[in-house]
Amino acid sequence: MVISHALGARIKRREDPRLITGRAIYVDDLNFAGMVHVAIVRSPHAHATIRSIDTTAARRAPGVVAVWTGEDVKARCGPLPVGPRIKEMKAPKRFPLVIDGVVRHVGDPVAAVVATTMDAARDASDLVEVDYEPLPSVQDPEAALEPGAPILHQDLGTNVCFRMTYGGGNVEEAFAGADVVVKTRIVQQRLIPAAMETRGVVAQYKGGELTVWTSTQIPHVVKTTLAETVRLPEHEIHVIAPEVGGGFGSKLDVYGEEGLVAALALALGRPVKWIESRRENFIATIHGRGQIDYVELAAHHDGTVAGLRVRAIADLGAYSQLLTPGVPTNTGLMCCGCYRIPNAHAEVIGVFTNRTPTDAYRGAGRPEATFLIERAMDLLAAELKMDPVEVRRKNFIPPAAFPYKTPTGAVYDSGNYERALDKALERADYRALRDEQAKLRKQGRYLGIGIATYVEITGLGAVAGLSGGNWESATVRVEPTGKVTVLTGTSPHGQGEETTFAQIVSDRLGVPVEDVVVLHGDTRAVPHGVGTFGSRTTPVGGSAVYVAAEKVKDKAVQIAAHLLEAAPADISTDGARFTVRGSPERSVEFKDVARMAYKAYKLPAGMEPGLDVTHFFVPKERVFPFGTHLCVVEVDPDTGEVTFRRYIAVDDCGNILNPLLVAGQIHGGIVQGLAQAIYEGVTYDDEGQLLTGTFAEYVVPQATDVPAFELDHTVTPSPHNPLGAKGVGEAGTIGATPAVVNAILDALAPFGVKDLQMPITPRRVWEALEGNSASR
Amino acid sequence: MKVEGTYTLPASRQKVWELLNDPKVLAKATPGIKQLDPLGGDTYKATIEVGVGPVKGTYAGQVSIADKVPLERMTLKVEGGGKPGTIRATGELRLEEQDGKTIVAYTGDAHITGLIASVGHRLIGGVTKQMVGEFFKALENELKS
Amino acid sequence: MIPDRFEYVAPSSVAEAVGLLQRYGAEAKVLAGGHSLIPLMKLRLASPRYLVDINRIRGLAQLQEDDGTLGVGALTRHADLETSELIRSRYPLLADAARVIADPLVRNMGTLAGSLAHADPAGDWGAAMLAVRAQVVATGPRRDRTIPIDEFFVDTFTTTLGPDEIVSEIRVPKPSPRSGGAYLKVERKVGDFAIAAVGTYVVLDEKGACRQVGIGLCNVGATSLRAKRAEETLRGRVPDEKAIADAARAASEECDPASDLRGPAEYKRDLVRVLIGRALRRAVQRAKGGA
Repeated sequence: MVISHALGARIKRREDPRLITGRAIYVDDLNFAGMVHVAIVRSPHAHATIRSIDTTAARRAPGVVAVWTGEDVKARCGPLPVGPRIKEMKAPKRFPLVIDGVVRHVGDPVAAVVATTMDAARDASDLVEVDYEPLPSVQDPEAALEPGAPILHQDLGTNVCFRMTYGGGNVEEAFAGADVVVKTRIVQQRLIPAAMETRGVVAQYKGGELTVWTSTQIPHVVKTTLAETVRLPEHEIHVIAPEVGGGFGSKLDVYGEEGLVAALALALGRPVKWIESRRENFIATIHGRGQIDYVELAAHHDGTVAGLRVRAIADLGAYSQLLTPGVPTNTGLMCCGCYRIPNAHAEVIGVFTNRTPTDAYRGAGRPEATFLIERAMDLLAAELKMDPVEVRRKNFIPPAAFPYKTPTGAVYDSGNYERALDKALERADYRALRDEQAKLRKQGRYLGIGIATYVEITGLGAVAGLSGGNWESATVRVEPTGKVTVLTGTSPHGQGEETTFAQIVSDRLGVPVEDVVVLHGDTRAVPHGVGTFGSRTTPVGGSAVYVAAEKVKDKAVQIAAHLLEAAPADISTDGARFTVRGSPERSVEFKDVARMAYKAYKLPAGMEPGLDVTHFFVPKERVFPFGTHLCVVEVDPDTGEVTFRRYIAVDDCGNILNPLLVAGQIHGGIVQGLAQAIYEGVTYDDEGQLLTGTFAEYVVPQATDVPAFELDHTVTPSPHNPLGAKGVGEAGTIGATPAVVNAILDALAPFGVKDLQMPITPRRVWEALEGNSASR
Repeated sequence: MKVEGTYTLPASRQKVWELLNDPKVLAKATPGIKQLDPLGGDTYKATIEVGVGPVKGTYAGQVSIADKVPLERMTLKVEGGGKPGTIRATGELRLEEQDGKTIVAYTGDAHITGLIASVGHRLIGGVTKQMVGEFFKALENELKS
Repeated sequence: MIPDRFEYVAPSSVAEAVGLLQRYGAEAKVLAGGHSLIPLMKLRLASPRYLVDINRIRGLAQLQEDDGTLGVGALTRHADLETSELIRSRYPLLADAARVIADPLVRNMGTLAGSLAHADPAGDWGAAMLAVRAQVVATGPRRDRTIPIDEFFVDTFTTTLGPDEIVSEIRVPKPSPRSGGAYLKVERKVGDFAIAAVGTYVVLDEKGACRQVGIGLCNVGATSLRAKRAEETLRGRVPDEKAIADAARAASEECDPASDLRGPAEYKRDLVRVLIGRALRRAVQRAKGGA
């Protein structure tokens, strides 16, 4: 693909001025006359039966308009559907408030208090008396599998939501014939997505239309779901995602509060607002990760991998949310990584526990897959006393083998894994780093070099085992003055598509980027859409824009040819004008073509008026970005502290539409990935109480906690979309976690430390070294 | 949340046992107990106010004494709920007399739900220690008076 | 995250503030930087009925030396200490500590006096002030009281300050010749409460032995702690590696940490040992004129 003046250019995000000057409008900025506010009473117990709820005092409190319990909700609201199902999956539908009398995690909603001010609602929520009978709870997903474990959903009779297997070849034979087998058990700790803006919903029913403003990644899915939940015809529902302050997957769900606030607006006839508090965000918005992976890797003496066996136990939490089962199944699909592993088998088990539900969080199953195979490759290298680089090199899928089908069923589109690795090694000066490491060790200083080579999956729903909804829509409308309006079905919330999609249109039509506006997140403006998640926006949504713009251009050329009395094939354009080739004096301006498209008195015979094309892009296949991340750390064996020395990322996301935005995505992604490695982790006590309940205890890194990133790229275009692009929103997160953990374990190799549980906080390093005389 | 330790009280086992079984003393010695009303047997309705500096919470619940083996051991149970969540604590006290003094060995386990559990975690350990210390100090004062 | 109802009052003099405290007693809390109090209020863990905002009172933000002491006002912010040339050149322990308290946003608002009055065992200033043997000036309805820092902390969130008193100033003794200090902290991320932190202050005599030693410990007990035995171990001795190791071991034994998410008590004890060793070496180096 030709990178033009617009595409591939370092154009600053057009979104930023309004964001950084405080002029963006978020849900909480919306205020309407007569609006009432909701505070939600939530369970303090992980598992309990509600004996009774006494709302008398709350109803009498000043300003209170209504108090709803589960029974009130049931009378006015249907259940929330479970998302797309995978086969033989067992999961209940849910109501926006608990109605079957059992709470299943701390934070499960039990009552809603509506009052004229937010303060009054909050005050009155303390007056709702809920009498609970605590039940035994189960926190650990492995314990939940044991016979006799407390069952969350009695009607299902089991805590197992689903079991899936992936694989091919003959794993038993491969292990029997292997020279070495390395094994590990990995705990993918739960993470809190912690978007800067918490969730929030405003709903208003007026003039026969229900309008719902919600902080979501998927407004169209919310609209369709609400039709079922609040029992209104879908065409009477209008959903708007205004400015959305981050999601990372946590807003890729239809939540009970969306149904509840809509139902309240319908019942009360007043605008209703609910804004999630940060504490609620920690207990009532989905968590990410939460997986226990048993990994076995079999290999020959020369480092060739013969087989892989994985057993992944996913902690689903108390309920199945929109895409919950799609997360661990992604791990099963992608567990072979960049390597030609002829025999592989992965079993994935989804288990209910008395904790906040888990769902897609930046990477959604691919970070877990990459982590387990990258840790296993390092363990293999250590076992064989080989350089981790060489073990990887030995097993890479070679460039000539693409498209490549893994035994677990993924079909990789294109790749050159060694090229990205080499570029990272060169940039890091790998040999010099190893020399420095040896030198420092003699001085009692512990440098570690960690490598992760990843491949991941983007461009569809990115949800293995689920089907449907893989398209994205775009409308490119040239207005009569020649300015362009783009409507996209994606719903960006920080990704910057107002900039990149304008670049695509500018590239195709030749109009200046400033003449293109990109609208999104409004179901009345954008007829249909799927949303923004799974790094799908550019490869799928961007491709839809690309094709729509091409079709607009074709029509404009036909109109121009007709006006100039020439054949369409003879028309050339620079965007501003259409010219007959060889006759520069015969030309017409773009804006005149646009005007004529609507005046429509001089159009080619049979042509419909207008210059407005909607395209639904359906990708043929998924696309697989890849890369190498290399991290250098120093570990202080006395305090356990880890200090970053360098961080090098070479990512291949196919063609790059805007290097600034790609860098931004990778920076943010790496921060979240290294956060999992050494900072962040949800901790519950054995009764299901969240101990990491505020930012004082749940350690999200800030700018000062992360190294400067050295970024580079290789470019291997995808054959599956016209942009040749692969998604880049999650790549950083996927590469970073294993790179950092491998670096720390490389630093601690002289102490014989082979594995450490994430997050590798100072105390965990100290505990691993304690009693080791070499450290004292 | 578990605590254990020993405390030596300058009195005979008989005297200490009597103190521990006197609801008035219990109400006075147990930090935060504002009111203790007998409900029959060894169970009392209690209003408990736990305060550490500006951090205060009021809990309504029950205090009961169980598993009594006179002069030897007893279990103290506290259960309550309030705005910041619920508290369920049990403490086992074992008495042993040595040279006219009584050594009380205690093991306790507290389950805390809600806000305090998730926000106050870093302080709960220290505060619990502090409250156990206050309890025994108050018993000691009671012995002196 | 909405606090309980409260009444806000903003007095314009210390006398007026004290008058309000007298009237409202335990129902009132003084608001200085607010970065400890406001989060507790938003969670409704603390619900004072009256908030007495002292930020409008003039003349409380001083940071100057006189009469043999450094005076730090009730409204002197962490950032004032962090950026002061006087602090940087003459009070290395304070300069070290000011740099590692929370993050810049908190440092712009939070105050040394407020931090001490709040008496969070994880507050860095408590340990630092113990090491330098500061005094707390309390202003109440009668005349000012000067409270030695050793008598100030009673328990977690609890001080000897009366309900009608405010901390009007902190007085830090001027550094002696041949003195040096250091403050070291291990935290999970920048801005976190310490896993453990230590402040050390030494004054050497002409022969290079420790004439005076101050060691304060942060977040390893119910209050900020003075490591008394460690100080005694070192006093009068030349601070060689052996002496420093003995003091470090003593401090790790006399601290009283609780196990929590930051780590088990044994880890925190060991961290105290490691940090005391490092901080003493740095303090001694500074006492000898090094950086």
